[in-house]
Amino acid sequence: MNEGSGSSASAFRFYGSWQDFVRIVIPNILLTVVTLGVYRFWATTRERQYLWSQTDFIDERLEWTGRGLELFVGFLMAVGLILVPFFALQFAIQALALRGYGGWAALVTFAMFGFIMYMIGVARFRALRYRLSRTYWHGIRGGSDDQGFGYGWSYIWKTIVGYILAGLLVPWSMMSLWNERWEKMSFGPHRIESVGNYADTFKRYLLFYLLPFLLFVGGIVAGGMVAVAGSSVGIGIVGAVIVLGFYVGLGAIALAFYAKFFRVAVGGLSLHKLEFEFTARTKQWFMLFIGDAGLYLLAAVPVAIILGSFGLLSGFELPQPGDTAAAVQGSLVIAFLALSVLPFALIGPFVRYRHWKFFVVHMEAYGEVNLDELTQSETVVSKHGEGLLDAFDVGAI
Amino acid sequence: MSEFFQAWHYDGKSAVRRRVEVQTIAGKFFLLETERRHGPFAFADLHYVGEREGDHVYRLDDSDGWRLGLSGNVPADLIALLPAKRPYGGWIDRWGIGPSAIAFGIMSAAVVAIVLLTPQWLAPLIPSSVEKSLGDALVGDFGGRFCETKKGRAALDKLVNSLDASPQDLQVEVAKIDMLNAVALPGNKVILFDGLLKQAKSADEVAGVLAHEIGHVRERHVMQSLLRQMGLSVVLGGLDGTGGSMLSGALSVTYTRGSENAADLYSIKALSGANISPIATADFFQRLAKMSGETTGNKKLTAMTGYMSSHPLSAERKKAFENSIAKGKNYKPALTPTEWTELKTMCTQDRKAKSGFGLDF
Repeated sequence: MNEGSGSSASAFRFYGSWQDFVRIVIPNILLTVVTLGVYRFWATTRERQYLWSQTDFIDERLEWTGRGLELFVGFLMAVGLILVPFFALQFAIQALALRGYGGWAALVTFAMFGFIMYMIGVARFRALRYRLSRTYWHGIRGGSDDQGFGYGWSYIWKTIVGYILAGLLVPWSMMSLWNERWEKMSFGPHRIESVGNYADTFKRYLLFYLLPFLLFVGGIVAGGMVAVAGSSVGIGIVGAVIVLGFYVGLGAIALAFYAKFFRVAVGGLSLHKLEFEFTARTKQWFMLFIGDAGLYLLAAVPVAIILGSFGLLSGFELPQPGDTAAAVQGSLVIAFLALSVLPFALIGPFVRYRHWKFFVVHMEAYGEVNLDELTQSETVVSKHGEGLLDAFDVGAI
Repeated sequence: MSEFFQAWHYDGKSAVRRRVEVQTIAGKFFLLETERRHGPFAFADLHYVGEREGDHVYRLDDSDGWRLGLSGNVPADLIALLPAKRPYGGWIDRWGIGPSAIAFGIMSAAVVAIVLLTPQWLAPLIPSSVEKSLGDALVGDFGGRFCETKKGRAALDKLVNSLDASPQDLQVEVAKIDMLNAVALPGNKVILFDGLLKQAKSADEVAGVLAHEIGHVRERHVMQSLLRQMGLSVVLGGLDGTGGSMLSGALSVTYTRGSENAADLYSIKALSGANISPIATADFFQRLAKMSGETTGNKKLTAMTGYMSSHPLSAERKKAFENSIAKGKNYKPALTPTEWTELKTMCTQDRKAKSGFGLDF
């Protein structure tokens, strides 16, 4: 069976609905809160099961087979192997500094940051590997036989090289790491190829360097004009516009660059006879983030209410010497739990939903898939999930 | 979807979707294609995966990618053999979501209560030798920042002896650090910072602060808060970053405030026992209150920051010390003027002691 595409309809379609998703989210939040967050690994899994199952590629839905327990074990591993030693090391550094071995303290701190960076690299790689190995289509999955330990080193040196030379090599560093990561991945029997070229993104990246220059020239011209008019208020306004222009401009350029980067990077991906494309332009990314900001504003309202309730709570009698403070604090604790944990937990899933939908809607694929040739992946499947990534709080893909 | 019962199958070896018929024979089943028969498979190895476009999808133990999809009206005799839906997995499906949520809630509350309450009982169980070596490992000689003169030490000892019944197991030091502060550390260590001595108006003030820190040592607050912080960060580490740390902060601040109040109470008693007037310490808090803007600032805002900061409001503490003044009692100064000068200038006199905060490399 050959599935040709090339017609106007996209190979990727998303059929999810907010209403159905809410039915996944509400029990998730309830269980996450009552388990002090332990359930969130299972919550993530249920979310992904839904999002994947509503995503159609050519003629069949995707399937997420990851399990909450895997994510939980991954998290425990990250805690045991990294966070606990780090906690201990922090004490050691403090003790070294207090005892006057400042040099050693600095050295240990430096080594610690190097190690963190290495682990972030490894974590990114392994998260992608984990996600591919748990994503099934037509009963076939992806994966990688690489452990990602080499990628950790690449991540360190390519990131450092990216930032020397006034950051000029950042696009090269980003694209090179993207390609390195994806080239090690496979789906079914086929290796993924990733040939994104950083040079295609470079023009937009140079805008970062052009902006201060433009603002400088514009500022001098405007300032000169205002000075001739002799208005000190005018000079203040020009200054404010320059500062504002700097921040807004930087944000816009970052968005424009990232939009281009993602198009080029995904455009460089191919799997056997399939080629991929990502169609979102800067405007669509902008709308995505505006929507996120709107959601976060919705969450911020309850937070504002908490701050207000502080004013109310300040009327409480302050504990006197000898009081047990817990008695006074009970209501405050409940207010904290209800109003500050809940809204953010509520918003998170919808942000993830929007991003997944955005991602699917703008993905395209061209070429053909030969289902007879698409046999099961023989890559090793690790039994633990994205623990490292979780520990460092960085996203994949 | 079709009203008719239909089945499809992925064997997990190739991506080809097979149209099959399900044939059941004595607790096992075969999947029949036109020219091929897959199986036998055991119903016991089947697990429910989920719904896909209206079809019910099942997987098989130990067969990577193996899927069976059923659509339409599945015959009742087949349904009876198929595994049940498990929307949440594990225990939650067994108990039902409501009872599970209640059970988990009770368990979580118990865990938090244990973490908050046990340090009080656990801390005294930690042998003082362990605490001492922890303190030594952490502090050492403070990078050579401790000040030492013969007369200054004598004055400090006098102060400690008057405030504490068994001063031999306390280690009180003055550190050449220009901060208005004093700390109690693991291993019965109390460190007064030089900045505090310089800005104190009398030895009585220093006595009040010193007694407060000794209070932390005697009530074993240092070990307690260390244990509590560790426990809270483990238990609430599971919650999302901001929520968890805010909650953990709120909970531990509560207890820090409790300890501060207890230490103040200890200080008031110790001062009274040593026959030292608490009025100087009250003045000290008055000055602290002015420094933090309490007396002039927005009252609501102060109350709010007071709630969140680890030390009780300075104005409140001032009142507590003031109220403890016993009328008609014949208080005597904590140190003679000469002794006070020796203590106050100890760090200026000791030129060997290093100064600064330890980050001067």
